[in-house]
Amino acid sequence: MTVDIAARGPATVAALSGEVDLECSPAVRRALLDALRDGRPVIVDLSLVSYIDSSGIASLVEAYQAARKQGTALMLAAVSPAALRVMQLARLDRVFNIRPTVDDALAVLAQ
Amino acid sequence: MPPPTMDDTAAATGHHADMSQSDRPDTLPGDLVTSDREVFANHMALIASMTREFSSSRDSQAVSRHGLERITTFLGAEASSLFLLSDDGRDLYCAACFGPVDVTGMRVPLGQGIVGRAVKRNKTQMVRDARHDPDFGGQDIAEETGFVTRSVLVAPLSLGSERLGAIEIINKAGGDGLFDEHDQTLLEVLAGSAALAIDNFRLTQRLVEQERARHELALAAEIQRSLLPRPTEDAYPVHGINAAARLVSGDFFDIVDCGEEGGRPGTGRIWFAIGDVSGKGMNAAILMTKTASLFRCLCKTVDNPGRLLASINAELCETGSHGMFVTMIAGYLDRETGNVVLANAGHEPPLIVPADGGAMDAVPAEAPPLGIASDIVGPEGYPEHPLHLGDGSLYVFTDGLTEAYTAAEGDAVLGTEGARRLIRRVAALPAADRLREILARVTVPGRPLRDDVTVLLVQGSAAP
Repeated sequence: MTVDIAARGPATVAALSGEVDLECSPAVRRALLDALRDGRPVIVDLSLVSYIDSSGIASLVEAYQAARKQGTALMLAAVSPAALRVMQLARLDRVFNIRPTVDDALAVLAQ
Repeated sequence: MPPPTMDDTAAATGHHADMSQSDRPDTLPGDLVTSDREVFANHMALIASMTREFSSSRDSQAVSRHGLERITTFLGAEASSLFLLSDDGRDLYCAACFGPVDVTGMRVPLGQGIVGRAVKRNKTQMVRDARHDPDFGGQDIAEETGFVTRSVLVAPLSLGSERLGAIEIINKAGGDGLFDEHDQTLLEVLAGSAALAIDNFRLTQRLVEQERARHELALAAEIQRSLLPRPTEDAYPVHGINAAARLVSGDFFDIVDCGEEGGRPGTGRIWFAIGDVSGKGMNAAILMTKTASLFRCLCKTVDNPGRLLASINAELCETGSHGMFVTMIAGYLDRETGNVVLANAGHEPPLIVPADGGAMDAVPAEAPPLGIASDIVGPEGYPEHPLHLGDGSLYVFTDGLTEAYTAAEGDAVLGTEGARRLIRRVAALPAADRLREILARVTVPGRPLRDDVTVLLVQGSAAP
């Protein structure tokens, strides 16, 4: 599992890849909370996530809660089929702002 | 006056070191030590005896105090102290000392003072007059106590690249009042075996702590198991089973019978709930216990499963738990009509299994899990599903079942389809046996479960 953080336009893009499970979810959590710290919108690119378990989802939820509390936008983008299935089953698609691509998420921010 | 021997020292301090025939007495150096050979032999005797003492004792404090006293006496010095690196590695603290001034507990930032310098550079420091050393930090002690530091010898304690601390010896008495290369070599050798002894103590301590934690975890697991409802008779309409992947579980189920008669609306209902906390381990187990307690309390006063889940959600959201959330189904069976009403908060879809072996229906979640946001559902609560079971059954389970490895499926993950096949395969058994059989089929002998497994079975009528 890796987390790549990059600035794109007005946002910070955090790209997760590989298996996001109990072992690496603390690293995901830290990376996302760090990314939120400067107040810029955060887009989490999930296109390369092959597996995500409930502790991985919990890291995304914590980032969602932190973003909401500080009034910063947090979007999930290009969610891989494996991750999307988990989110739809638990109806987390009603919680997160999910965009089809990172570009689409950036376009929403630009509006 | 004759120099004190090792026996004198032991007698004076109340300590006694086991000595073999080959042990030689410690002697003060100086005029009485006439040759290098004798110095060497005395050093070896002290090293052998102290190494034995370090390796055989289980009381680190006593060993360090007694050890410092012996080294100080042997080197003919006035005082000594053992400094250890704090857990965060930022400073050194005095763990034990010997001499006229007690500096136990004193802290020195790493890199400061002569001791801090020795540790930072991982190199022995021999200082002729500390008062002229730019790093010397003992002026306060001199002002407060009148104890003046002159010559200093500090050997670092380390194991490979790991720094543990240092031993400091102060004020060589007699002769020119300066430490020499013999003293340095001796202290370095003793520091080597002291470092091993300290490492040993720490490992032992860690083992003891681990053992204590394991014991506490076992107690927690026992309490958690006692919160689960007792197995019910086969004729009873609701059954449940739970197996934890670790000692404690992040899953739970509960069955609360509100009685067959009575004036209060809702009597005759059997409430049931199943939940799965995100993550594993103690934090999940604690949140699970909180959620289960809320359910047990609320189902006795709240009439609708949707509102009940909304109340639990509000409670969980009030005290956030690092993004942890709970997928949960709560509902009740009306034992007179055989009707079930349930609400599903982000949980694995339960299956309605007709008695005639017809197609199964799933009840997917229409709202997200609990504990994420308090405004996720409106005042009417989570959406409710009325189900008429007739002679059929309802199977509610956690994803520990669908994600379990199963030997019968060629060691593959069971999956949703596998779970349906398994449920059909056990259909002819009495209720409690069905759950036991399901659990047995997803348990691979000698291999821990991948995740906690919980299955709840609700029967429309008591007949199997």
